[in-house]
Amino acid sequence: MKRPVTLTINGERQEVAVEPWWTLLDVLREELGLTGAKKGCDRGDCGACTVLLDGKPVTSCMVLAVQADGRQVVTVEGLAAPGHLHPVQRAFVDYGAVQCGFCTPGMIMAAVALLNETPHPTEAEVRAALTGNLCRCTGYAKIVQAVMAAAQHGGAA
Amino acid sequence: MHRFDYLEPATLSEAVALLAQHGARARVLAGGTDLLTALKEGWERPDWVLSIGRVADLRYIRYDSRDGLRIGALATVREVETSPLVRKHYPVLAEAAGTLASVQIRNLATLAGNVCRASPSGDTLPALLVLDAEARLVGPSGERRVPLARFFVGPGRTVMEPTELLAELVLPPPRPGTGAHYIKHSLRRAMDLAVVGVAALVALDGETCVDARIALGAVAPTPIRALAAEEQLVGRPITPDAAEAAADLAQAAARPITDVRGTAPYRRRMVHVLTRRCILRAAELAQSQGRLP
Amino acid sequence: MSAHLGPTPLRVVGQRVPKVDGVDKATGVAQYTVDVRRPRMLYARLLRSPHAHARIRHMDVSRAQALRGVRAILTYRDVPPVVHAGQPQPRAGSLARDQRILEDRVRFVGDGVAAVAADHPDILEEALALIQVDYEVLPAVFDPFEAMQPAAPSLHGTDRNLVIPPFIVRHGDVEQGFAEADYIFEGRYETSRPMPAYMEPDACVCEFDPSGRLTVWISTQAPFMVRGSLSEVLGIPMSKIRVICEHMGGGFGAKQDLYQYPYLCVLLAQRTGRPVKMEYTREETFVAGRSRHPVVIELRQGVTRDGRLTARQARFVANSGAYASHGPGITRVGTNALASLYKCPHVYIEGLCVYTNAPIAGAFRGYGAPQAYFALESQMDEIAAQLGLDPIELRMRNMFQPGDRGPAGTPFREVMLPACLQRGAELIGWAEKRQRPADPGPIKRGVGVACQLHSATSYPAVKEAAGAVVSINEDGTVQLLIGAADLGTGAKTVMAQIAAETLGVGLDAIRVVSGDTDVTPYDIGAYASRTTFIAGGAVQRAAEDAKRQLLDLAAQELHAEPADLHVTDGVVASRSDPGRRIAVKDLVASPGGRSARTIVGRGTFAPRNDYSFAAQFAEVAVDTETGQVEVLQMVAVHDVGRVINPTTAEGQVEGALHQGIGYALMEDLVVDGVSGKALNANFADYKMLTALDMPKIYVELLESVDDLGPFGAKGLAEDGVCPTAAAIANAIYHATGARVRQLPIAPDRLLELIP
Repeated sequence: MKRPVTLTINGERQEVAVEPWWTLLDVLREELGLTGAKKGCDRGDCGACTVLLDGKPVTSCMVLAVQADGRQVVTVEGLAAPGHLHPVQRAFVDYGAVQCGFCTPGMIMAAVALLNETPHPTEAEVRAALTGNLCRCTGYAKIVQAVMAAAQHGGAA
Repeated sequence: MHRFDYLEPATLSEAVALLAQHGARARVLAGGTDLLTALKEGWERPDWVLSIGRVADLRYIRYDSRDGLRIGALATVREVETSPLVRKHYPVLAEAAGTLASVQIRNLATLAGNVCRASPSGDTLPALLVLDAEARLVGPSGERRVPLARFFVGPGRTVMEPTELLAELVLPPPRPGTGAHYIKHSLRRAMDLAVVGVAALVALDGETCVDARIALGAVAPTPIRALAAEEQLVGRPITPDAAEAAADLAQAAARPITDVRGTAPYRRRMVHVLTRRCILRAAELAQSQGRLP
Repeated sequence: MSAHLGPTPLRVVGQRVPKVDGVDKATGVAQYTVDVRRPRMLYARLLRSPHAHARIRHMDVSRAQALRGVRAILTYRDVPPVVHAGQPQPRAGSLARDQRILEDRVRFVGDGVAAVAADHPDILEEALALIQVDYEVLPAVFDPFEAMQPAAPSLHGTDRNLVIPPFIVRHGDVEQGFAEADYIFEGRYETSRPMPAYMEPDACVCEFDPSGRLTVWISTQAPFMVRGSLSEVLGIPMSKIRVICEHMGGGFGAKQDLYQYPYLCVLLAQRTGRPVKMEYTREETFVAGRSRHPVVIELRQGVTRDGRLTARQARFVANSGAYASHGPGITRVGTNALASLYKCPHVYIEGLCVYTNAPIAGAFRGYGAPQAYFALESQMDEIAAQLGLDPIELRMRNMFQPGDRGPAGTPFREVMLPACLQRGAELIGWAEKRQRPADPGPIKRGVGVACQLHSATSYPAVKEAAGAVVSINEDGTVQLLIGAADLGTGAKTVMAQIAAETLGVGLDAIRVVSGDTDVTPYDIGAYASRTTFIAGGAVQRAAEDAKRQLLDLAAQELHAEPADLHVTDGVVASRSDPGRRIAVKDLVASPGGRSARTIVGRGTFAPRNDYSFAAQFAEVAVDTETGQVEVLQMVAVHDVGRVINPTTAEGQVEGALHQGIGYALMEDLVVDGVSGKALNANFADYKMLTALDMPKIYVELLESVDDLGPFGAKGLAEDGVCPTAAAIANAIYHATGARVRQLPIAPDRLLELIP
């Protein structure tokens, strides 16, 4: 039986009725139309569905929507005001870190979470923070460059 | 995904009562990273999922020098990994916690959940074993404490009753002059499951080893202690030869299987190499501990 | 129609411009097929065979049909019994029609046997479980050599289970060549079953409108091939099918095939009158996707004392899995590659492609070449070691010359391997590292090299062409219509750069429209390494056509000769009298109120092919006690002709190296030799390198002067993955003395080989 949950998504409080077995990812994508977070594996192995839950990066396919009741969710759509880019998004575009783009939203969320915690990471720290996000196109080279560049330009903004 | 009803108690006693009521037809959800996989794959088909996520006062990491470390059932693996208390007093546990999956998963998964999952290759289990951790279980008939050395029964199986909850993990205070190390042997440097995991703890008095513990992961139906190897080390200095001899005994204790992650002969061979390396590294750490003011 | 290699400096081509769709992707706005939702949409999934080989005696769908929310079920009785090719490429002579939409026979674990559409995905699993299938299990075979035996179970009734007759490449007389040899080298090389593992799972949404027109949103590399195949198999005229793929999350070759699911999705939409969505689970992308072919190569070469190749004989045996897919094509390309790379007067290579009850192999980056070069470049290293020659020196002694014929049968216009080798050797410090004394302790370092050359197109198997249309808007901005899909490589951006450069307008004036068969000109698909080369050539020609029209108009307006005019920043001006000028927008729509002019440039480009070259160098550290290999660095020097966009070009090589290192060390879909089940069909056990596993990468792009492609560009996408495994295997040999002839180079296997 569906039950109501209240999620604060990208700063907006939303009430949505969910089945207990629905994941946060499915509710974001199917019920709320926020398709930025992607379903790459549905097992927590690829990171394409990464969102911030109470400020911490999590794979939203591994969270039940009922577990997120009352909590804060930030998705890639909510990183910057419309028409603007978060410094990490800017750097991903400028440094060629985006190829097919399917891993990009999750990768960006993981990078944003890192820079929020560690504004000036080493390259090794960047790589370690992104191990939960698989990318098949870039070999991570330009992704790591982009995150390092975003950090230099105040990516924790 | 398997469909189920959802229970969300607010207190531990309520949780215990609900579990007593639904017992084997319920599964407990803490972080959910293992349970959700099992539900999605259909390995588990419970009628009820009982989330303890909103039970008050289960999310903590506390330390004092007399009672040691207490980790509440809802403390995440990431919290354990980054806890200044854990990093200071039980660095091997922080190290092992940091090898589990990804940051995203570690932000969800709980240390207690990793213990209850009882995977032979569970990343934090060898470290918890060498640290002599105990599980505090609560059930309808009260509480009991079980050392992790006697906690695991088989792959995914523990001594816990279906009506029991793991409320807390308790680790005794470390003795001075102790060094411990964990080696996770896997194909990738991250996001991987251990082909073999070895944790070693060595306590030195001067040059002499006065206490040693060795635990092996992914080479038996449960994580195991290599007791004969431990005994081999105690009472003498940790030399390369001593480590080699202990590694022989650890290898003999391993009973690995062949699966897609590794063959049994390779795993046995790795137990030897990694145990030797792990002991020597733990001894180095113990010595540098001893040199600290 | 020659390329612009003249003195005019390039403004847009050669620049590191950001991707035209980068912002959409970085903000989550870009819509992929999996993001498509339609009103009243149903969700569908396939029931898959648990058996590797079986006949279906009976199916009962009544219980599933009765489940609330189930709207339609299709079994083999409900689908047109058309035999089709699975891969829709019209590859002359290399197409095997052996697939049906559904059949009363299954040939691998994962073969589809039924499809269910329901109101909500929640119901699908239960519905599938309620379908009862009575299987008569048949004997199965998984090894291609066993499959060729007379007693082996036959999959499709062909001789020795061969997909096509043996493909032979022969020149000279190998017997004579071996007689002239001082030494003969022999080896058996075995490659693995890596998966493309694109991040976006296969998906489609199919919808009929009330007039019977079908729209298909699908994650595909070849929208026109999808349209053509659906039309052919389902009997719907092409004018009534629209195929759309705006953004796609990678394909790497595999998403050229048309699997069972789009046919079924169309049929379910037809039957229910509602839009239907099908989305693969990750597990399905493994078991019912397309892998690179596992290949066994038996290679024998004769060589003189001073290191000249005299003869090469080889057998290339590819495991096609249950259906042909691209087996014929990769067998041809792999066999040709084995016959090439270095000059050898006497060559006899036999390529075999064999059906087994394994999962289907198909097209995946490199298309037969990575397997061939793993064998060839490993053996070159063995020869060098045996003769006491530097591996680079041995290669130099057997180098092709311009005018020699390459693997596609066309002559080399330029041979850039020596330059690639020389530059790579400098970058990695080859001379010094080859002489480095052995490391003390269990960790040993070493360096190795391997080369490749690759044809950008499928010539001569397919005579390819691409089309483009350039249309000038009333405000002087530009619609660029290309048929080629953008897998994520940056093709749209590169096409926009070529158009902007040619037209003399700014990049931001170009809007690229692709991946919509109702709108764009025909394109055969984004595969091989062809898009920049061929589609780029079409764009250049379309832009030149539009520009010529603009200049003719401007010549009238300005009373000037067209040859005296040029376009810069959207303004046409006279060279001799710069004061005479008119904005492009005023040419198209004059301020005077006249209706806007239609300026549409058309371009097609149908070249044969061109060869690109690369040398890759690997430095590794091998733990000789555990068998673990750490790649310390990769140096990749590629000749790709003119680089249109250095950022996207480097990105191609960097991504290819990710797949190449994975191919060398860990990527392999393991199929159980008894049950035929894939044992690691998930991202936890199928190992793709993480950000921590990737080494330092140095990519250097050499730009040979070659004016065939647009501005001199050649192909690149596949090249980066072709030599990587051999470079790493050779570095491991240098580090340890262990010669590994089997991929992946797993630690346990390597440990056994370390002397």
